[in-house]
Order: sequence, then C-alpha cells, then structure tokens
Amino acid sequence: MDEWKPNPAIKPHKKRSWYLAWKYKLMNQRTLRKLCQTGAVLFLLVTVIVNIKLILDTRRAAYEEEEESAQDYDDELLNVEVPRHPVSNKKVLDVEVYSSRSKVYVAVDGTTVLEDEAREQGRGIHVIVLNQATGHVMAKRVFDTYSPHEDEAMVLFLNMVARGRILIFTIKDEGSFHLKDTAKNVLKSLGSQVAPFLSWRDMWTFVGKKGGEVYGEKHAKSPALSTWGDPVLLKTEVHLTSMEDAECHWPDTELNRRRKRFCSKVEGYGSVCSCKDPTPIEFNPEPLKDNKVFDVPVAVIAGNRPNYLYRMLRSLLSAQGVNPQMITVFIDGYYEEPMDVVELFGLSGIQHTPISIKNARVSQHYKASLTATFNLFPDAKFAVVLEEDLDISVDFFSFLSQSIHLLEEDESLYCISAWNDQGYEHTAEDPSLLYRVETMPGLGWVLRKSLYKDELEPKWPTPEKLWDWDMWMRMPEQRKGRECIIPDISRSYHFGIVGLNMNGYFHEAYFKKHKFNTVPNVQLKNVESLRKDAYETEIHRLLGEAEVLDHSKNPCEDSFVPDTEGRVYVMFIRMEQEADFTTWTQLAKCLHIWDLDVRGNHKGLWRLFRKKNHFLVVGVPASPYSSKKPSSVTPIYMEPPAKEEGAVAVPVVAAAEQT
Amino acid sequence: MQKINKNVVLALLSLTSLVFLLFQLYYYKFYLSQKNGAVFSKVRGSQSGQDSTRWHVVRKFLGLIASHNIPVYLIDPLILGLVDKDIEQIRSSPDGPSPECKYFCAPRDFTTFALLDKTWKHEVGLFRTAEKMGFQWLKIINKDPRLDGMDDLSGIEIPLHYIFKLASHAIHLVVFYERSGNYLWHGPLRLKQHMDRKFVPFRKLHFGRYPGAYEKPQLLLVSIDDLKVQIPKNPSNFLEEVSHARFLECRYREARAFLQLYPDDASLDAVEFRKKAKSLLHLAALTLNNLGVKFWLSSGTCLGWYRQCNVIPHSKDVDLGVFIRDYKADIIPAFQKAGLPLKHKFGKVEDSLELSFQGEGDIKLDIFFFYEEDDHIWNGGTQAKSGKKFKYLFPKFTLCWTEFVELKVHVPCETLQYVEANYGPDWKVPVKTWDWKSSPSNVQYNGVWPVDEWDDVIQIY
Repeated sequence: MDEWKPNPAIKPHKKRSWYLAWKYKLMNQRTLRKLCQTGAVLFLLVTVIVNIKLILDTRRAAYEEEEESAQDYDDELLNVEVPRHPVSNKKVLDVEVYSSRSKVYVAVDGTTVLEDEAREQGRGIHVIVLNQATGHVMAKRVFDTYSPHEDEAMVLFLNMVARGRILIFTIKDEGSFHLKDTAKNVLKSLGSQVAPFLSWRDMWTFVGKKGGEVYGEKHAKSPALSTWGDPVLLKTEVHLTSMEDAECHWPDTELNRRRKRFCSKVEGYGSVCSCKDPTPIEFNPEPLKDNKVFDVPVAVIAGNRPNYLYRMLRSLLSAQGVNPQMITVFIDGYYEEPMDVVELFGLSGIQHTPISIKNARVSQHYKASLTATFNLFPDAKFAVVLEEDLDISVDFFSFLSQSIHLLEEDESLYCISAWNDQGYEHTAEDPSLLYRVETMPGLGWVLRKSLYKDELEPKWPTPEKLWDWDMWMRMPEQRKGRECIIPDISRSYHFGIVGLNMNGYFHEAYFKKHKFNTVPNVQLKNVESLRKDAYETEIHRLLGEAEVLDHSKNPCEDSFVPDTEGRVYVMFIRMEQEADFTTWTQLAKCLHIWDLDVRGNHKGLWRLFRKKNHFLVVGVPASPYSSKKPSSVTPIYMEPPAKEEGAVAVPVVAAAEQT
Repeated sequence: MQKINKNVVLALLSLTSLVFLLFQLYYYKFYLSQKNGAVFSKVRGSQSGQDSTRWHVVRKFLGLIASHNIPVYLIDPLILGLVDKDIEQIRSSPDGPSPECKYFCAPRDFTTFALLDKTWKHEVGLFRTAEKMGFQWLKIINKDPRLDGMDDLSGIEIPLHYIFKLASHAIHLVVFYERSGNYLWHGPLRLKQHMDRKFVPFRKLHFGRYPGAYEKPQLLLVSIDDLKVQIPKNPSNFLEEVSHARFLECRYREARAFLQLYPDDASLDAVEFRKKAKSLLHLAALTLNNLGVKFWLSSGTCLGWYRQCNVIPHSKDVDLGVFIRDYKADIIPAFQKAGLPLKHKFGKVEDSLELSFQGEGDIKLDIFFFYEEDDHIWNGGTQAKSGKKFKYLFPKFTLCWTEFVELKVHVPCETLQYVEANYGPDWKVPVKTWDWKSSPSNVQYNGVWPVDEWDDVIQIY
C-alpha cells in the first residue's frame, strides 16, 4: 500500500469566492485574517475527513485479511501449546544420592533423575553426568563392576567426560568385586577419599566436579561378607557456573553450531566435544567413480544405543561414495540421545513408536523402517539396510556399486550382503572374491524393492508373532531357493556387545575375530561369474583344478592342509541328504567358525580359506558336486558329541545374529 | 460570542488534526518498517502501471537461490499464462532480450516458484543469506504425508512452503515432494497459531489452499524480461494441471480405527488377491492414461480406498468410473492389446454402458460409464439373463487426485457422498455378500432392454 499524502491540489469549493477573497485581501487586512482563518478551518476539515477515511479503509482491509486468512489457512490444530520452560536462574542445585543393596536413586532439585529398584538388575556403579551450567542430565550409565572388564569401560567413559562436568556416583548391590586399581585411581583423582578402599558390598555415594571440587561423599562399610553396608543418603549442594564457562568457543560455523547443540546436551562422546581440538563431524570421503549406489537409500535401524550409533555413523559417513542425503536413521522408541547423535551428523532421523515386545518389536521396527524408506524414496529400486552396531568398511559402497547390477538382473538372487558368516581372521583371505550362498546373512545388506513390496511386506509377521525378522526371511517360504551374494572378507563388522540377543561371551566367541576389509577401492574380480549359470561353471572349474586332501588325516588338525599358499584344496564330508549337516557342524566347530546353524553353503558346498589356500568342502552324496569325488576317497564323517546334541543348538540359534 | 465559537472550533480542529497527524506518522512508520527500508530506483517499467519492485525482488531472489545452487522453477500461473501466449517466440530466442518488461512487471503481491525437495539439502545458510539481502522469510512446515500412512512413525515435519518477502513483493516457494506413484506432491499451506497472519495476504496465493498432485515436469530454461528462469516445458499443460491438481490424502487415521475394529485379512489368499488387484489396477491405469481417458476409482475399489486405504480383500474385482463424454472406441482394443480380453459389454454409448475385462487369475476389471444430468450423475447396470436395466444415482461430484497402491489416481472429491450414495450410511461395516442389483442404496429399476437390441446391449464373451 502506498503511504498516504495530503493532496496539495485540493481546490476550494467555489472558484468565485477565492477570487473575491483575493480582491478583499488587497482592500482589508481584517478580511485577510478572516480569510486565513477560513482557509485553515477548511484545510483542517479536509485533513480530518481524509484521515477518517484512511483509518476506515485500513481497518476494513485488515479485518478482511484476518477473516480471509482465518478461513482457509488456519491449522486445524488450534490448541497446540508451546511448552514453556521455566527459566531458572538459580545458582545452586540440591542433589540427593541414595545407595543401597536393592535401590538407588538420584534427585536433582527435587526431580528424580535416576531411580532403580528393579530386582536383579542395575547392579554396580551408576554414574550420572550433569551440565555444570544448567544442571541437565547429560549422561546416565551403569557399570556392573562386580563383573570383569566393566571397570575398564567405566574408566574409558570417565576419561571422555569433559572437565568441569558434575559427576554423581552411587552403588547398587555390589560394585567393588572387579573394580581394579586403575579404576580406583581414576575415582581417587576425581577427589574421592573412599574409592581406593571400596570393598565387598560397601555402599557408596559421591558427587564431584571433574577436575575440581568435591561436593560430598558418603560411605557405609559392609560389616560381614554375607551382609551389605547400611543404605547411605547423601544430600549436598552444587554451585552452577555460568553458561560461558560450560561451553567451548569454537568458530561459529554451521557444523560447530550442531556440535555445540550436541555437546551441551550429552556426554561421553570424547573428542567430538573437545574444546581445543575437536574431531571432525564431517568427513568428505573421496567420491566413487561411476557410483551405482549413490541414489540408493540407506536405512539405519537403531535402538537406544547412542554410543553404538555414533560409532556406526562415523564409519558410514567415512566410507567412500556415501551420500548423506540418502541416509535415514530409524530409532525404535522416543529416545532423545540417539536423535541427538543423528542431528550431530546432520542426518535425518525418524522415531518409531515401539510395538510389541522383544524380537517382534525389532521385527515391527524393521517393517516400519523399510516401508518408510521406500515411501520417502519412491524412485529407489533398492535399499541398503544397516544396523547401529556395525562398522562399515571404507569400500562398502564400492563393493555394492560393483555388484548391484546383479541383483537387478539375476532373478535367482535374494540379496547382497556385506557379511560373510564364515569370514573369520583365519578363514577369509581375498577381498576381491565374492560367493553365492543359500543363507541370508543380514548385517549390512541390500534389499530389492520389488521383493519387499510384492512379497515380504504383505506377509510380514504381525506383532503378536514373536519372530525374528531375519529368521523369518531365511525361511524357505520367503527365500524360495534364492541366494545371496557375499564377499569373502566382510564389508561390515559387528561390534555390538550389548543387545537383545547378545552378550559379551557370545560376541567374543562368534564375532570378535571376524575379518573386516580396510582396503579402499578393491576391484572385485569375479562379478560376472556370480550369475546363476556362470557360477556353476566357475565352481566346476574350481573343483576341476582343486587338489584332493588326504582324507585319512584329521580335518581339525592344522596339518590337514599343507603349508602352501594360493592353492585350491577340496575335501569331502558325509551329507546324506540336503538337510544333513551333522559332519559340517562338527567341522565348523573345530575350525572355530559359525557352527550355531548352517551358513554360507551353496548346494552342499562351502568355500573358505585355510592357511591362505582356498579350501572347499563338499557334502557327499547330497551335493551335485559329489561327482567330482574320486572313487578312492571316503567322505569324512564326524560324530556329534552325544550329550550336547540338540539341547544347545536350539536356544542359541534363535539368539544368534540379530541383536 | 461568534468569535469565541470560532476559536473553540479552530482549537478543536487543530487538536483533531494533530491527533490524526500522529496517527499518520504511526502508519507511516509501520509501513516503512514493513518495506524494510528498501527503496528501488525506477530502472525498469517506465510505463505507468508497471511495478519494477517485483522485477527487482524476483531478480534478487533468483540471485539468492543461484548462489546456493538450488534449482527452482517458475510455476506462477499468471506469468505462465502470459508466457504461454508467446511460447514459440521465447523458445526460439532463448537469449534474446525482450523489448519491454512484460512478465515480471505486472503489479502483483506474489511470484510463485517451485522447488523439488530432493534437489537441495535444507541448508540453513540460504536463510542467512536471504536475511542479509533484506528478505524476510516464513517457513510453513507440516506432517510428512509419506509417513502418515504408517501406524507408528512419529510424523516428522517437513517444509511445505517458504515465503520470502522484500519490500511490497513476496516470493512464494512451493516445495514439491516425490511420492510413490511417480508423481509430485505439494502440501497445503496452514498457518500455525503463533504465525504472523498478516505476513502476506495469504488468501491471494495460488498454491496452498489444498494439497496438489502433479506429473514430474520437464523443464526449459528461458530468458524472459532479462531474467533467466526455468519454466515447465509445456506451460499450457502445466496450467491445465494446476486447475485440477487438488489432492486428497487417504484417511489413514480412520483406516486404522477401522482395522482395529475389523482386523485385516492376512491370509495368503488375501495377500495374493491384493497383489493381483494392484497389478491389474496399474495396468488399467497405464492403458487408460495412454488413451487420455480420465477415470476414477468407483464402487468397491473406491470404498476400499476411503475406508481402509487398501484393496478390500474379499472384493472380487476392480471398479473404475469414466464419464461417458470421455468414452473412446479404442478402449476395448487397447485393453485387449494390454492382455485383458473383453469379458462382457452391457448397454451402449447412449445408455448404461458398462465394460468388463478379464484380468489375470479370475479378477475382473469393471469400467462403468457415468452419465451427467442437471442435478445428478448416474451409471447403468444390466442383468444378462433377463435384460433388466438398473440405474445407480449419485450426487454431482468433481475429481481429485489421490494415491492408492502406489498409483496416482482420481477419486470423487466428495467421496463421502459418493460412497454413501452407493453403500448407504452403514458403509463402515464390511459386508461379504453383496448383490449389485439390490444391495446398493442408490439402485433404481430402469426398465428392460427391448428384445431386438439384446444382441447389441448384452454381449458376453
């Protein structure tokens, strides 16, 4: 709207009177004055009228606008209330910490920030980190220092906490049995007087600032081995510092703004929040030439293990050929910290209301994540599915880029997976080698959209079925005889130790020694020979040139395979029908590879490496390759140890993998 | 006496005018602040009635987005209308200077641009630069409809519209999203409570009253009024789309409530039927779209969309509606060519036409032709053995786009009336036995075909 200006060209009503007045003016001063007065009055009147009009106009316009915009453009949700945070400029926090055999709690300014009275859970030292300026909880951990190695994890965590943060410790049940001197010394360096002398079933609470003052400590000694120390309750005050002191002064860039938001909220991520020399959060790995998977969406399936997610995303974003815009992190539940991690890296994250329990919950989360992925990227023909507890190899996308066309063209393929179930340090050798296997390994894999939309999604197990999604996908009704392509050396590494089906022992036995490719830009060598028919030709060629091993020796012994390099050897084991894996399981057991169920087979053939030689195992007579067996050779039969049969396998198999 | 009066009047008037003067100052200040102090010299548009401000704002905006490598394209219906008239000329001289400011100088409140979401990375930097350039901006976000259909994903919010305002002109940037079904979607513009309702005259916007669905446009870089902009390659097609772009989202929440009440049939048969029905619908849509025949989901298929956002597993066919004015003789051969032989043909073009095609695995594709009257629309039915005619009446309706089984299709915008006409007020209750002659609540007996016409109006293959 133009601003209003009084019109200077307004003319008096009568031209004639104007003229007369002019005449009068010359004659009479008095008339002149009168004339001026009339003029002024007239002018004022005009101003008043114009102004009134202006006001009416603008008011009407404004009213109309309001009415109009109200009609069509109002959000239907009118009662959205903006949550108001009470602005507290209090300088002192009241902290209460309680330690006892069956219960611990921590209250900050009357708000309970930790309460654990669950039976047979939460044993050990609980640690809470508060922001020294706001008093917000930045991290909550529990270290079961009754068990071995947990104290190391605690030391690692405490070292990562920034100086100046407020640390709160409390013991539930028992926290000293495996609390070694290193850990005790760290606690001592934080100002604890009692820590060096903590002993069996003592109760202990401690509040202090990292690298600064101690706000309070209480301790109750256990009087006897069979009893616990009395519960202790520590009440203390913590003085807050100014916001300025609690933050680092990084240069003001977009990245650092994200970093700042992250670092003022959570703790325990180490150098990413270091004031002096923070680790980068943007990686810019080399782009891949002719990247066939640049436009393939990547779904990261996550739960509430933010530290895992942090490690996983770092490796993913460092992989060559990664396209951050295609990555979506799906978080199972409304957890804040994983979302903070996602935002730190500038990725998009979606939270998912948990449905059902345990395995079915994971399964429903997978379904929702996959459906959402294909909804968000309707053009995509594939999706890469990753989990939060995987390290991603630097050539992960290069590996997929070179092989993905097979998934598009070969109908007999079910998936491409980055994981070789049998690829351990001592059984995998060749980063450029790929296999076809009848099992579906998961742990970093590519899913075809048509497979998902036409077959899997409509039949996906419903929430009341407590099934593992991966077990379900491996069932013959779903797999329909199709195979997956896997590399000899895995392009992902499963580092998760805590999980639904995972524990430290299990991880150590089956995952820790898995081989993981660290060489960039590996050129895959036999990609075309992985097509259905070409692969058979390849296998026959391989069996043709393979040397038959001495079947009179014990296959578990190292000497079974000669001390050579780069040769191809074959052995034959007994396998009565397609589902007879008795001997294979025993062999897998003694070779220290995956033996909990059958993995990595292709028509009764297993391929792995021993002593840097390609080592083929053929099941006779079930395998079609049995014809390659010289008639003089008797297939090796290994008997399962009598008592273990069945009993062990079943529960553990279900727990295998998927954590 | 007279003198005093005069003085009083004078004083009173002076006072009022002083008050008004203050008012004026206040208003002046108000508008000044809105204009953001930007004053443009009149370089362009020397002719009266032209608005060089607009041209300048557009130029600045194009500079802004170019500096951030964001590919936007012009979708302003008024400008595209003008461009369309001169399209040949503009195409032939892509760099030729236009003699006068013809397109960007008509005084308007808005110029509208489109942005494909996947072509940019939501950088905050853009808005910082915009602010530095003097733009005020407003972002309108709302739930992501691509995730709305899913029970339990927290609807993340996505930007749907941006408005950049400079001086008296505003740029409306509509964000388009790709959705399953190979089409582009833009959201409605809804202001949240705390938003500035007077930021711009929202009522005058061309986009945003309803969500809209569009084909993916091919773009053309042109130079008009000395500005290089991308426009849809075929502006008249695009303008035609604009007028019928209204999009209806499936009623996911109601569908969920329905599924709570009547759990979905997850049997293998149901899965199999749905799969077949989906591919039949895709094939039918492809065939009809190639012929340029407009169609919509009708009867049971429409009910399935409206009630449960899915194919009803116990329905035995796929039903489509077509206005008789869109009828083409090519329809039957085209379907036959697509592998769907004609199963039966009832009625004739003048009356009660209905075609059925045999899909794969016992699924039937029914195409009902609709006849428009002054106050209602109807389609006909024929009983083969008796030659009886039936008439199904519907209140008048228009067509909207929606997404159904990964397909962009039409449904009647007034879906509830349509469904209620067909299935009565109890349409929410699933019925497994359905007689097309008596169950519909809008069926009317319509006489019998004359026996001598039977060969023509009742054809069964």
